[in-house]
Amino acid sequence: MELQLEAVTKNYKSNQVLKGISLTMGAGVYGLLGPNGAGKTTLIRILADVLRPTNGRVLYDGKDIRAVGDEYRAKIGYLPQDVSFYGDFTGRDYLEYSAALKGMEKARAKKRIEELACSVGLWNDLKRKCAAYSGGMQRRLGIAQALLDDPEILILDEPTSGLDPYERIKFRNIISAYAKDRLVLLSTHIVSDVEHIAAQIMMMEYGDIQHIHTGGEYVQMMEGRVWLGSMPAEELVDYQNRAVISNVKAKDGRMEIRIIEDTQPVPGAVQTVPTLEDAYLYLFNYLPGKAGR
Amino acid sequence: MSLFRFELRKLLLNKKTLLLLACLFVLYSVVGLTSTMFLIGGSDSYRAYEESAAGWEGPIDSEKAAEAEKIYQEVSARYGTDERMISRSVKDQPETILAVNYHAYAEQVEDYWNGTPPESAEEPYGIALLQGKIAELESQGKQDTYDYRELSATLERLEELGEPEFANALLWENLFNNWGEHMMQFLLFVPLTFVIAPVFAVERSSGMDNLILSSRNGRRKIVTAKLLSVLAASTVVAALYLAATFLFGFLPHGSFHGWDAAIQSIPTYARSMFPWKVWQLAAVGAVWLIFTGAVYSLIVCFISSRLKSQIGTAGVSLAILFVNVGLAAMGDTVTQRLGALVDFGLANVTLMKEVFGGYKGFNVFGMCVSYPVMAVFVLGILAAIVVLGIYQGQKSRTYA
Repeated sequence: MELQLEAVTKNYKSNQVLKGISLTMGAGVYGLLGPNGAGKTTLIRILADVLRPTNGRVLYDGKDIRAVGDEYRAKIGYLPQDVSFYGDFTGRDYLEYSAALKGMEKARAKKRIEELACSVGLWNDLKRKCAAYSGGMQRRLGIAQALLDDPEILILDEPTSGLDPYERIKFRNIISAYAKDRLVLLSTHIVSDVEHIAAQIMMMEYGDIQHIHTGGEYVQMMEGRVWLGSMPAEELVDYQNRAVISNVKAKDGRMEIRIIEDTQPVPGAVQTVPTLEDAYLYLFNYLPGKAGR
Repeated sequence: MSLFRFELRKLLLNKKTLLLLACLFVLYSVVGLTSTMFLIGGSDSYRAYEESAAGWEGPIDSEKAAEAEKIYQEVSARYGTDERMISRSVKDQPETILAVNYHAYAEQVEDYWNGTPPESAEEPYGIALLQGKIAELESQGKQDTYDYRELSATLERLEELGEPEFANALLWENLFNNWGEHMMQFLLFVPLTFVIAPVFAVERSSGMDNLILSSRNGRRKIVTAKLLSVLAASTVVAALYLAATFLFGFLPHGSFHGWDAAIQSIPTYARSMFPWKVWQLAAVGAVWLIFTGAVYSLIVCFISSRLKSQIGTAGVSLAILFVNVGLAAMGDTVTQRLGALVDFGLANVTLMKEVFGGYKGFNVFGMCVSYPVMAVFVLGILAAIVVLGIYQGQKSRTYA
């Protein structure tokens, strides 16, 4: 199974949101990282076939997904950024409706709904109205919906927003277990969501995928570029306008700072073990001057 | 699992809509009840009318006609010639109501034989007038024209129907007024608009579009499910209207008298060319209302599939309905100029009195096609276009 993007562009009037993205994905977990406004959701929507590219095409096993149509959509599970519900639907209604939309047989749908409700921890809440669910519960219900028909391609847009740390870990475990022989594309701006489970991580900015590497490669790229230093609090105010700082911690009356820089940024700074988050900040050059983008 | 079941639930079988339907049933019942109470006083008055009318039923009687004419002159001198004014003023006087109705019947018989004056803008009607026109065309050697064929066919049908007979179908007349007057369009089509408007628009306002458009059945089968649910919902609302007005139109007087009379005995249908009994017209009228309600609902459904909001959908749908009503209410010169636009506009085509109450024919490649047949054809084409448009729209729709 292969999903291929050929020079995909998307314009909203004069604004080009996607700039000729070409990409090939096979089985495995793909993380899509990028700041807000990078074009992640637009790309995800095109892959989910709810949006059409202005130019270019998406191929599923070499065939244009528009030509494959229903059969392509039968193979995808999609969790949109904003999961919505009908006001008077219970959790079970929502999942049964989703199963009907996916064309699942009644008996199989019932079995899957029960399995997934247990997996995402909603078994006891299926009879409650969706509107009464907390944000995290609604998100978990959305995840269950995306997994309902055992999709070959799972497309998740910001799946962990609103989840607490325990739920987030549980979600990662579900996805990891699920991903075997399947394509999972997980779009997020939370680095830790993809750090441990994505085989390939795509960094996206300004409507283009700038980098595609494994998590290990990103970390390796950052060797020698992450520093731990310290300075008085009053100096930090001015310094943080000139440097990419990934963490600040008060320690012994001074501020211990984690700085991303090619060379030693401050006297006494020592190199430390890099993380994917450091790579994200380094590659997107998160200087305060760019913060308003 | 059935998508239709869910779509029907979203559209109809939910608390809000069921509450609305309950309110509508009450409203329709009140309409049925008040219309029959205004027609004639209490059940005693109706009983008296029914008993008196029994002696008047049958072919025209010149003595009775003269007696009715005398009473009518007295009534019109007192209350004027406006029919509604007279009805309201004499509603507690069964004998007077009978005389007024018999007077109208006598005019109808006169109309049957002598018809519209030659200078009238109306389509020619009446045995003598038709014979005259046909003879005129024959003298001009125009036997092979559409006009000749149409007039001959009309004359033939009129002769087959025979001279109208007087019958007491007072309560049925009231029922047909409820089913076939402009008031029905407000009572039935306006609520129908609000019931149907969310069918597609709700997906956009709720954000469920994402889920639907990305699913296997989200492009075609869901449209089928939605269309079926729209048809089911419109049928339920129309049936509610029909049932409530029927039930509460007859209930106060406990009588179905006149059910087997010819429809020509009801003044509104005096010129109808259909050889139907009253009960047959009631059945056809009910089916017609359900059919036209379904076509209108499909139009609302199409608008809903194109707009983002339910309010917008309702607004555009009602604007279309009211423009149609407005056009139909224009003077004769305007409506004649607009021709088919008025004939097949929502205002006229949904009214059973317009479709089944006259004898209008249309020239289709030289053939004379009756109004109901043409109306079914035009509405069928319209419905087909709308349905295709909805399928096509959903196929290419994207999340916006």
